[in-house]
Amino acid sequence: MSYAVELRQISKQFGAVQALDSVNLRVRAGSMHALVGENGAGKTTLMRILYGALSADSGTVLVDGKEQHFASVRDANSAGIGMVSQHYAIIPELSCLQNLILGAEGSGWLSITKATQRAQALAESMGFNFDWSARAHTLSPAAAQKLEILKLLWRNARIMILDEPTAMLSPADSTSLFESLNQLREKGATIILVTHRLPEVMDFCESVTVLRGGKWIASYPVSETNPAMLAELIVGEKMEEAPPLEAPSLGEPRLQFQNLMVVGDKRQLSVNDASLELRAGEIVGIAGVDGSGQRELVHAILGARAIESGFFQLLSLAAKSSTKERLAHGLRLIAEDRLHEAVIEGWSLVENGALGLHRQPPMASANWIDVPGRIAAAQTMAERFSTKHGGVNLPITSLSGGNQQRFVAGRALFGDPKLIVAFQPARGLDLKGTADVYAGIRSACQNGAGALVISFDLDELLEYCDRIVTMCNGKLSTPDSDFARDRDTIGRMMVGAS
Amino acid sequence: MKFKLPVLVIALTCVFFGMLLFAKISPATAFKGLFMGSLGSSGAISGTLREFMPLLIAGLAVYIALRAGLFNIGVEGQLLMGAMVSVIVALKIQGFAGICLASLSGALAGALWAYPAAAIKAYRNGHEVITTIMLNAIAVRITDYVAKGPIHDPSGTASTTVSLSDSTRIGNVLATPAVNISLLVGVAAVLCFAYWLKRTVGGYELRAVGEGPRSALFGGIEPKAIIVRSMLASGAVAGLAGAFMVLATEGRFYADFSPGYGFDALGVALLAGSNPILLIPSGFLFAALAKGGTSLAVEGIPKGMTTMILGLVIIVAAAIRYRKVVPHE
Amino acid sequence: MNSLLLQSLFLATPLILAAMAGYTSERAGVINIALEGKMLMAACVAGLLTATHGPIVGLIGGVVSAVLLSLLHWVLTQHYNLDHIISGMAINAIGAGGTNFLWNKLSDLGRVGQLPSLSLWIFCAIALISPFVLARISSHTRPGLRLLSVGADPEKARLAGLEPIKIRLGGLLLTGVFTGLAGAFLVANSGTFTDNMTAGKGFIALAALIIAGWRPIQALIASLAFGFFSALQLVVQGVDLFGVKLPSELWTALPYVVTVIALAGFLGKNRTPAGLGKA
Repeated sequence: MSYAVELRQISKQFGAVQALDSVNLRVRAGSMHALVGENGAGKTTLMRILYGALSADSGTVLVDGKEQHFASVRDANSAGIGMVSQHYAIIPELSCLQNLILGAEGSGWLSITKATQRAQALAESMGFNFDWSARAHTLSPAAAQKLEILKLLWRNARIMILDEPTAMLSPADSTSLFESLNQLREKGATIILVTHRLPEVMDFCESVTVLRGGKWIASYPVSETNPAMLAELIVGEKMEEAPPLEAPSLGEPRLQFQNLMVVGDKRQLSVNDASLELRAGEIVGIAGVDGSGQRELVHAILGARAIESGFFQLLSLAAKSSTKERLAHGLRLIAEDRLHEAVIEGWSLVENGALGLHRQPPMASANWIDVPGRIAAAQTMAERFSTKHGGVNLPITSLSGGNQQRFVAGRALFGDPKLIVAFQPARGLDLKGTADVYAGIRSACQNGAGALVISFDLDELLEYCDRIVTMCNGKLSTPDSDFARDRDTIGRMMVGAS
Repeated sequence: MKFKLPVLVIALTCVFFGMLLFAKISPATAFKGLFMGSLGSSGAISGTLREFMPLLIAGLAVYIALRAGLFNIGVEGQLLMGAMVSVIVALKIQGFAGICLASLSGALAGALWAYPAAAIKAYRNGHEVITTIMLNAIAVRITDYVAKGPIHDPSGTASTTVSLSDSTRIGNVLATPAVNISLLVGVAAVLCFAYWLKRTVGGYELRAVGEGPRSALFGGIEPKAIIVRSMLASGAVAGLAGAFMVLATEGRFYADFSPGYGFDALGVALLAGSNPILLIPSGFLFAALAKGGTSLAVEGIPKGMTTMILGLVIIVAAAIRYRKVVPHE
Repeated sequence: MNSLLLQSLFLATPLILAAMAGYTSERAGVINIALEGKMLMAACVAGLLTATHGPIVGLIGGVVSAVLLSLLHWVLTQHYNLDHIISGMAINAIGAGGTNFLWNKLSDLGRVGQLPSLSLWIFCAIALISPFVLARISSHTRPGLRLLSVGADPEKARLAGLEPIKIRLGGLLLTGVFTGLAGAFLVANSGTFTDNMTAGKGFIALAALIIAGWRPIQALIASLAFGFFSALQLVVQGVDLFGVKLPSELWTALPYVVTVIALAGFLGKNRTPAGLGKA
């Protein structure tokens, strides 16, 4: 039996965290192997070690049966290993051709004609089409993904690692991606697929390895497993069925907008004729693939992005109100990008806890900061979701990502929230933490708040939201009442297929 | 790497002493000269305090912008414009009213000269460093032109105004060593700013924008407004430093008015680090260096040595302050 | 008229060379406000060595000294993660202070007359050709592509297997060479070194680069225009133009005013390299 990749007893420590603990992985040549596990299970770390971007503390890497010591990405490249990371490595300022050849240009003097010819041949072999001299900033996520695959081929990679390749893709684009991957495998490529989407594993992979908490749990041929069994291996205990949700008792409107138009950074129409009414007491989920306009909608609700036209009312405030007024009236946000939008890295928990609430009691009285009030508030926020910390005066970056998220969620539920807008509130949390945060949002809603949750994970929304609307190309749609919680219907609506 | 910082400090020190030895200067002589020239006599101390005032206030100007995440390299130009405008006012209006109005108009002129940089940063996303460098160059030319033309002393040929009358000068509280009221105002301003930064909502918002502008925006703080306000405040304080130089130490305005206080002020602010009160010792150190440097010439040591020390101190201060913890993952 | 054009070219040459120095470092992602200090150091060392060993050794010495300062710039920004602005300011201070110190201590202050020099045309030719060469290198060679990609997005370039730190070393070494040439030209042109003889030329060169949208050939044109205006100022100084006497300060401030207007976005779109100043 020949293995294209064999990792033996790989361990890696970051600070006090054991990211990988004696992990094994064997991938047969010419197969598609899935590497599955929860966030933080160590999948990406393991792959970065194989790709030469990180070095292991201990363990052995064998490629095609030969022991390898990759000191850099370049070493791994020359051994035939290529990787497409979750956030594509496409540089928007460069042309498509320049992106394709970057790092593997061949000669020192570039022959643009020759390179274009070879690029064109590669693209045609996969059935892709590119304008090679165009700048890459115009590429859609699906096109960028295709360019990334061509980059692997350009570098003659035989072992291809794809980290969550469908995270940014619509189901249709995902299907065509797997068609391309199958094509590559028929030509002899070995593919390692890092994913948390079990249907992809069942439909397209031959074997699967499960990691949990940095440890190797199991490896199976896919034919000997089923989704329920894999899910159990991934989370480590049998998942309980979510109890059916009771219909919430609705209060007055918290957020209303009609025919809302919002324009994005590149002047593209990002929110197109969207309407929604959200009342106190309910949790409304917005389902959609990444980049459907959710970000711009959230920014508009926050008041950080201008509304072009349409009716908008948040609590008692009109469209012209500032972020400051909206926060003062009880708007709370769990932002998408924690380190850049939710907290300030150098600051303590106390100072971060005050952010957004810093003008009002107990954080301040008039223009003066209330120091004891802020400390007590930070402690309350930390206790809310049992944030593990070494003291509220330590910098927030001394906490792990999951604990930072718990603290940020605790801050959003502090005091008397009236409208909670949460963008992937469970990001970086385990299943227990996720359930806790949603339970917190639920209890705030029972006390008179309304909540709008945006997530790319449809199952999470189905489990915790009272109703779901979909967002696709900037348009919001509500499923027919018969199919309001039907996974397939909503999944199709997310990608604009009726 | 554990020893990165010590390696840097030792290497820079070696280069510095190497240059001294190469130029056949005994380091002991050089440092003795520096010390005696700045602190060795009550006259020397008076001279150091004279340098201390503009360095401290201009240092505060740089510091205000720095805490909002902006490098105001333009303090030099704002100081020049403040000094020029204040002398025009002080020559017209005598006495205490003149002092007050001249200080105010100096601050206003400094703020106005900072405005293009503030607006370009906030609304056009242009780097404030580049804008302020350009505005400095323009300010030097405007003030040179005005000093040798419209306001120049008609009785002489030099590019200078006449001296202000004694009633329009800011006085000393102590005769020897001379401690000027303007210096006390500067120290008070630093203390007030330190308290404001730490204990008020406004100070909190300024720091939020300086350290995490996007998180600040999402917390209901408008970074653009803070950027404009802090840059204007920075310019006003710089203009005040210029006005005080005219009203307290110099008593007139002339071409080449500032010996680079705006640039030294950057070192003062950087050395102070995260604690604004440290502006006071840091400003004093730079003042002693500046004063000591002028007396080095007597020992046959070029005054460029102190500028070099300034550069090395900036590097070490920044290496300590901006030491980043390398994040894992 | 010929002398006006000649004068323009000589005034533009150090600007072009320094703008190219800015190009190779800023397009690699290193903000360079230290052109001034590096030029000044090169001029001083070139002056000292020309006096003792002749113009060729002077030129080499000037280039080596500017390269050494660039190396310091690289160590500070890339190894110590120092802010690019702060390290640039510090290098300017070392340049200004160090040259004052070295020249006063080491030069023969009693010497009179001009230093010998190489033909100024050599410098002018390099200045006029190098923007085209750099433009070609950027678009058609491996090092050029890598330099631009590191300046556009260092993190993604890293994922493509590049090492930004090494590529920036290359960019900064070229900065050293170009500022070295610019400094040596100043000494060759004026016949001696004088204190602070760059007089803001490093900043004007940076201005030219910004107005040009960080593109080499456009930077050449901007530098030539600035050179022409400076030369014109020397000619029209004290001359009534349409009945108005133009103060020379107006002319010398012109490049800076134009740059502020350009920065305000009134002269086309912002082309700042996206990775400027990023680790």
